Amino acid sequence: MTATVVAALLWLTFVKATPIVYAALGGVVSERSGVVNVGLEGMMTIGAFSAVAVSRATGDPWIGLVAGVVAGALAGAVLGWAATRWKVDQIVAGMGINLVCAGAAAYGLVLLYGQPGASPQVPSLGEAYRVLVWFALVLAIAFQWWLHRTVAGLRVRACGENPHAVAAAGFDPLGVRLQMVTWSGALAGLGGAFLSIGEVNLFSDGMTAGRGFIALAAVIFGRWTPLGAAAAAVAFGFFEALQFVVQGRVPWLSANLVQAAPYVAALIALAGATGRVRPPAADGVPY
Amino acid sequence: MRLRVLTGPLGAVAIVVVLGSATMLAAGVSPIVGFAALVGGALGGRQQIAETLVQTTALLFPALGICLAFRGGLFNIGAEGQLLAGGLCAAAAGIHAFAPAPLEIAAVLCAGALGGAAWGAIAGMMKARLQASEIISTLMLNFVALFAAQYLVNGPLRAPHAAGPETAALAPQAVLPVLIPQTRLTIALPLAVLLAIVLQFVLSRTTYGFALRALGDAPEAARRNGIAVARTTWTALALSGACAGLGGAAIVMGELHRFNTQLSPGYGFIAIAVALVGDLQPLWVCLSALAFGMLQSGGLAMQAIAQVPKDAIGVIEGVIVLVLAARRYIVTKKEIAAA
Amino acid sequence: MAVALELTGIRKAFPGVVAVDGVDLALEEGEIQALVGENGAGKSTLAAIAAGELRPDAGSVHASGRVGLVHQHFELVERLRVWQNVVLGTEPRRGPLLDVAAARARVRALAERNGLEVDPDAMVEDLPVGVRQRVELLRELAREPRVLLLDEPTAALAPAEVEGFFRSVVALANAGTAVLIVTHKLQEVMAYARRVSVMRAGKIVARMETAQTSLDAIARAMVGGALPEIARRAPVPLAPCLEVHELRAGEGAGRLDGVTFAVRAGEIVGIAGVEGNGQTALADAIAGMLPYEGTITFAACPPEARAFIPQDRQREALVPDWTIVENVVLGRQRRLARAGVLDLRRARRDAQVVVERFDVRTSSLDVAVRTLSGGNQQKIVVGRALIDEPRFIVAYNPTRGIDVGAAALVQSRLIEARNGGAAVLLVSFDLDEILALADRVLVLYRGRIAGAFGAHEADRARIGRLMAGAAA
Repeated sequence: MTATVVAALLWLTFVKATPIVYAALGGVVSERSGVVNVGLEGMMTIGAFSAVAVSRATGDPWIGLVAGVVAGALAGAVLGWAATRWKVDQIVAGMGINLVCAGAAAYGLVLLYGQPGASPQVPSLGEAYRVLVWFALVLAIAFQWWLHRTVAGLRVRACGENPHAVAAAGFDPLGVRLQMVTWSGALAGLGGAFLSIGEVNLFSDGMTAGRGFIALAAVIFGRWTPLGAAAAAVAFGFFEALQFVVQGRVPWLSANLVQAAPYVAALIALAGATGRVRPPAADGVPY
Repeated sequence: MRLRVLTGPLGAVAIVVVLGSATMLAAGVSPIVGFAALVGGALGGRQQIAETLVQTTALLFPALGICLAFRGGLFNIGAEGQLLAGGLCAAAAGIHAFAPAPLEIAAVLCAGALGGAAWGAIAGMMKARLQASEIISTLMLNFVALFAAQYLVNGPLRAPHAAGPETAALAPQAVLPVLIPQTRLTIALPLAVLLAIVLQFVLSRTTYGFALRALGDAPEAARRNGIAVARTTWTALALSGACAGLGGAAIVMGELHRFNTQLSPGYGFIAIAVALVGDLQPLWVCLSALAFGMLQSGGLAMQAIAQVPKDAIGVIEGVIVLVLAARRYIVTKKEIAAA
Repeated sequence: MAVALELTGIRKAFPGVVAVDGVDLALEEGEIQALVGENGAGKSTLAAIAAGELRPDAGSVHASGRVGLVHQHFELVERLRVWQNVVLGTEPRRGPLLDVAAARARVRALAERNGLEVDPDAMVEDLPVGVRQRVELLRELAREPRVLLLDEPTAALAPAEVEGFFRSVVALANAGTAVLIVTHKLQEVMAYARRVSVMRAGKIVARMETAQTSLDAIARAMVGGALPEIARRAPVPLAPCLEVHELRAGEGAGRLDGVTFAVRAGEIVGIAGVEGNGQTALADAIAGMLPYEGTITFAACPPEARAFIPQDRQREALVPDWTIVENVVLGRQRRLARAGVLDLRRARRDAQVVVERFDVRTSSLDVAVRTLSGGNQQKIVVGRALIDEPRFIVAYNPTRGIDVGAAALVQSRLIEARNGGAAVLLVSFDLDEILALADRVLVLYRGRIAGAFGAHEADRARIGRLMAGAAA
């Protein structure tokens, strides 16, 4: 393989990793505060759709980007509310969010554009998409620092380990959890917006293709740390980028099978990582 | 206990009515017209009722599998992939018949069940031996199943003169007998109901069902009281996959008579809502499947007649799941108030 | 003296039980008052309400300043360090940043001022129970409370450590802090408290000055009459049952580090010790729940003839949402089945037997176990363990957190089992329970047996010293 191919593969890896990194960071922030968020997929979807809808409506992709983040945050807030006020089964609620967001996006396509399946082309970020790629990595580093060096980060970690201790220490773990899950939705929404108006310029049904769940695998493989999850996400991005490089060059490897690579990689990562690692002690347990 | 069982269906109906009316009004249609189209589309005639029951069957198989897994505390969201795996195996087994009809049908159904079971067992073993989250693994396996199936129907299993990517047609002995003439409704429906009855018995009266429920309701107490956690875990996911696999087999053997990757419009995911509305009890899940079957088949008519996009139904189903997640909390609050 | 804390008309109910039923309490600045009552009387609930952690259904709480509460089961973040736990909520900061140096210094100063020795950088999960309590106390003290509530503070301390603990408490009181000690250890009440309030079934039934009353008077007020009697140990011929040799299990602070002993049929062997010295590893290894090194040998006692009463009934013994019948099946499902199908009629009959023999107060067999009181729940657990007449029984804190009546019944049934020829291994953090029931007492300290005594030579003072790691 020539140097240009390797360079292209490297860049493509980071591009493909970017949405997963955002979603994985969202997963980390949510679970470190004690809430399991399996709704990342839906939050990415609604972020992707909202970015496209608003970008087309306003003609400005950056406003669309903001809309994607806000939509994800709203979905996150719903999950956070359900988890903290109603003490629901967080996994069931997360799956509900996934169904609602997927349905809302599909419905929105028909309502706004009269056609199911895909939106028309909309103004995209164009070359500025690179900013989001770098920002993802910067954010991972900043988040890691924030979690371990600031007062807020300490409190979030305490909420995820023992909310009773937090209550005894005098502040409300439920409020912290609600905030963090909302942020996790915002991050997932950003990842989704990158998919729809960063990488391409439209929304199509199912375009998130399970990335929200691959992000969860990245969280586990990365031991619930921002840098670890981001690194794992980059690894998954590599497997996705592989498709584009391998296609046509290796004749006996069917395109369909290569498409499965990131998912198989996630399975292998999951098999290798678990059993030796511990999630935050109060993760998923309603307080 | 009685109250709890009702809150699911009642809540679901309320959501359908409220949200459905809202979406209809948003589309500029009177809710009365919209719901009339929905119900008419679902139950308005012999063909319509048959189609509703076909949808019910397609939902019931995976929903029963999900019900079983959820009772064991295992979140199987891979029913879609297990369904595909089952359908594919059934198609592969049923192309060349080797026995007369009843035997052949049984064998091909078994192949479908085994295919789904194998797919579920992968996630099951990962959970049992490696404590790998079954939420992630079953979902990843959905995609792997899809791509593997696409590869197979585009390549090795592609029918010689087919127009699109699909397998060859099933041998006539492997086709399910029709229940109502000139419709797509086959004996798959009574088979599904029979499965529900069997599962209800297993859950409430057998040691296996007891172990599974203990695992789901109190995992530490189960571990300390003689329940083989690992074995119960992977067998539950395998059985769950088998139910979904039967669903795929039923679609292949009943409606399509061949396999292609379009056979499910997301039954494996809708089935999650079906199982929850049915309070995770197999017999109630049958009724829930019927209700959702009505939504599925009536939705198309609603779109055609009242111009309400059928995709609204997807949103409604999601909201149902979300609201039902809160059900346990509401019930607990009532108990405290009563004390 | 000024009143630092005033509770008026407090009422609090949970599903199935009224925990606090109209309580008035006043605490003065600088006093040490005791709140006593048997398990289940409502003391911990009242403390939580006084500290503002729980909202009462009725009544009011007035405090002249901050109210700190040191919980019975510590509320610490195990995966954080001591200093992080202590400053949580009052963190010294530089902008958004945590000022680590200032935090550690503050913890050191606080510890020194109060005579509580801790290592600020230690991870809480590595600390023994006694030290963890110091951390929790420091956290409360860091917030400079006017009122300090201590819920069962000496439950996890060796008798020798109790003195040191109370020195700190007395110093705090002398400096003006109002202290309320929730406890059932009446000797400590008589020694350190000025006033004592007695709680029973959610109400305050007596208020006394310790100088003008006696330990017996308080005990009688607690129970509302004479203490229930427990069965007597009868002379029983002994036979081999369990032999344990150089048993090692678990890791970290609470591990078992090589014990050798035997339990014979017809005797109760009591394992005494402060929580966290290897009891859980011992019980779990013998129950087959934990991998171990060394040997565990049973004689004439197949697995079906062994019973285990775990220490955490809600998590380890019962399925709270299930009915009494289903819970009585748990652990015995194969025994009650034919060809994989459960015999529900036999299950009901067994449940009926348990309810009758163990005096479980319930309206029906089909209620969720969650709705029963702790005492009734424990009676079901013990009843289920004993119904098949096991040859060997491990009882781990069998009367923890239950009322005196239920405790007496459970203890009597264990003695009756022993009289009937069963071998009983009793592991308990309650030395009084061990002394009342055991034929032989073994003291566990840091995972090893520090001493062994027969029932007649069991000396509370000597055992207490061994429990703290001192020489006998």
